[in-house]
Amino acid sequence: MLSSPKHNILAIITAPEFSLDFLWTLTFIFLTLAMLCFVGIFLIRNSIGAKAIRTKNKKMEFSPMISEFLFYEESNDIEEKKNYLHLKIEIRELIKDRFDRNVFTEVLMDLRKDLSGESKEALIHLYKDMGLHNDAFENLKSRRWQVVSKGILELSTMEVNESYSLIIKFINHRQSTIRKQAEIAVVNLKEEGITYFLDTTKYKISEWEQLKLLDVLRHKPNFEPPQFSLWLTSKNADVVLFALRLIKYFKQTDAVKSIITLLKHKRRDIRVEAIDCIKEFYFVDALPTLKLVYPKASADVKIAILDTIGEIGSKNDIGFLEIIQKREKNFNINSKVIGMLNKINPESILPTKHIETEAFFTSNLNDNALTEDEIKTVTDEFLEESKDVEADGAITVNENETTYASILGDQDEVTETDNYENIAEKQISMDIVPPVSEENTAFTNSMVEKEDEEENREPLFTLDVSLQEERIDTDSDSTSAANSSHQQEDIDWSQIINKDIPNLQLGHAIQSDEKPFISFENGAISFSANFMDEDELETMVLLENIAEMGDRRELFLLNQLLEENESPLILERANELIEKFSHQLSGPNELFSSDDGLKNSVFTKIFHLSDTATKLILLNEIEDIGDEKEIRLLESLLLDQNKWIAKRAKAIIEHIRNKINEKECSETILKVTLLPVGFELESDQNLTNALNQKRKI
Amino acid sequence: MGKNVLLADDDQLLASLLNFRLKKGGYEVHCCSDGKEVKEFLNTQLPDIIVSDIMMPYFSGIELIDYVRNELKSKTPIIIISSAGNEQNVLSAFELGANDFISKPVSPTELLVRIARELNKI
Repeated sequence: MLSSPKHNILAIITAPEFSLDFLWTLTFIFLTLAMLCFVGIFLIRNSIGAKAIRTKNKKMEFSPMISEFLFYEESNDIEEKKNYLHLKIEIRELIKDRFDRNVFTEVLMDLRKDLSGESKEALIHLYKDMGLHNDAFENLKSRRWQVVSKGILELSTMEVNESYSLIIKFINHRQSTIRKQAEIAVVNLKEEGITYFLDTTKYKISEWEQLKLLDVLRHKPNFEPPQFSLWLTSKNADVVLFALRLIKYFKQTDAVKSIITLLKHKRRDIRVEAIDCIKEFYFVDALPTLKLVYPKASADVKIAILDTIGEIGSKNDIGFLEIIQKREKNFNINSKVIGMLNKINPESILPTKHIETEAFFTSNLNDNALTEDEIKTVTDEFLEESKDVEADGAITVNENETTYASILGDQDEVTETDNYENIAEKQISMDIVPPVSEENTAFTNSMVEKEDEEENREPLFTLDVSLQEERIDTDSDSTSAANSSHQQEDIDWSQIINKDIPNLQLGHAIQSDEKPFISFENGAISFSANFMDEDELETMVLLENIAEMGDRRELFLLNQLLEENESPLILERANELIEKFSHQLSGPNELFSSDDGLKNSVFTKIFHLSDTATKLILLNEIEDIGDEKEIRLLESLLLDQNKWIAKRAKAIIEHIRNKINEKECSETILKVTLLPVGFELESDQNLTNALNQKRKI
Repeated sequence: MGKNVLLADDDQLLASLLNFRLKKGGYEVHCCSDGKEVKEFLNTQLPDIIVSDIMMPYFSGIELIDYVRNELKSKTPIIIISSAGNEQNVLSAFELGANDFISKPVSPTELLVRIARELNKI
């Protein structure tokens, strides 16, 4: 008889066996704990609530009693005196209970914050009269820091001077809250407290503590501050810092040398505080030290020093500030220096950034066709202003700017030369406009922008000198040469033309037959900044476009331009670009730009960006889905340094080739089987030959 | 019968103390512990003088001044109690029409003098 096969089930994960009783026990325990927890919280909450209510009621109970006490006057009638005595006894009875005593103290402490004058004095008297300070003394002995701290605060608030000797012990307590409370109490309780504190404190004095202590001293009646300079020699740097601040606050000017010495302190905040003191007290003797420490100071200290020099310095310090202005690269510091220079010597430095050139405004004058007299007036005024400004030593004009002075100076020269001496009644029209043609404008502006986009983009200029009596024959070589040489001498073109056109040959441009540099039309000389012929200009525009948008692919074109052109300007620019693009890294696409076979494969790009592991994965993919497009890529990998990749590439090439052959065979067979009816069938031998031929191919 | 003083302060201890002092000074004092109470009281009757803390729940001292001056159109003298370092609030209070201010910690005797002075001005 057949029996069913036995199945042995092997459990990989088996559930642990738990005793149900144990689970019930755990449930009971946790439920009990939860209940206890809830009950505990409920009781504690109720207790706190009840205590708060009780405290509030007690406070309201004590409040009129305390008021009665505070506003009791000796002049009151006998009845009131009796009441007062009864009340006193009643309070004494009440505060026998510790809770009531605490509440009573709490009320007094609260009121102490809100009351001043006689009421405050009466309150303190009541506190001491009831002997509540004894509780505070007891608190000082406690091991709990909160209790000690509370005791110190109470004694300090209620001004129990007797506690001073007890509290000073806590000045260097390791518990920071006690220490801080003790510091305030010591300074508050006695006048000599501050000196004791500064003498003995070993710990850091935080900014908050310093402020608090200063506040205590500030509100101390009849406080006579000690000579805080005594603590400038303290070994505790925080004491030195606090002493400096106290010196500044209480205006103690007796520590000039010590403060000057502290300019060299290692701590930055002390140096800054010392600088503040020097500025506040006008310590002129500190100027040499300020200059001495300046170079190695941090930026904020430098600014503080400059601020102080600006405040207390004189014209003797201008030299130092000017040197800093030249050397300093930090914008904030540099701005500060300029500010201070102007503070010491008002308006010694005038605005230079984003200021239009004078020429910009005179172009408008030209548009409105000013008469000769008007122009002369304007130019004369400008010349005078320029002289004044130069005389003041003010820096007003950039190197690159075209000044009226240079232009007008040249203009005068022109009238004095032989060729122009007969030119009378000339109408000067100075246009600061882009040079002549649109191409030129584009070119020039692009050059200017390259240097500094924020610089004044107002372009070069043309000078139109209208002639009334005589025209100059430009065809004459001698005249043109004379003109050109004269022009070169008289007009400082290096100022006019942007520095980005270094090798510009003006003479050459002027002698150009096609577009003369100086043209005469309708009795007017036109100085046009037409420095190159149109072909050159087009090439330059092309080069600028390449510079802006091109990459290393333009190298071929650039080399071609180098061969075709002779203009030094073009050659230089092309060389610059070749140099620039030669250093560019090749992009993944460009790596194989010369090899179209590699481009065919979609894997090429990603393959050359991958690490070895990824490359191997990609090779697997190529094996699976690749076709003849991948063969060129695989062949390039046969010489790969990594043997694995080379070996794998070789195997895949074979695999793909086989795949292609199989595919072709099947296609051929398919073609043969689908030949149309009546088609003359080739013999098997012919078919095989054709296949072999194809394979060879 | 003494002049009516409305004392508005959420600090009950201080209010109680000032209340005692003012009563002793011969004034009839009505204490309010928050802005709502003050408003309710003002809707029923106008006191001779108002002494109010700036910081109060629901209705600050500044709002109280605005309410008295602009809603009730009353010229009742108002003395503001402000804590030290609250100068901006004090300026606002004066702009809205407060007559005087006294800063904490308060001297009850000084307050009494100021109240008397304001009442004498009327």
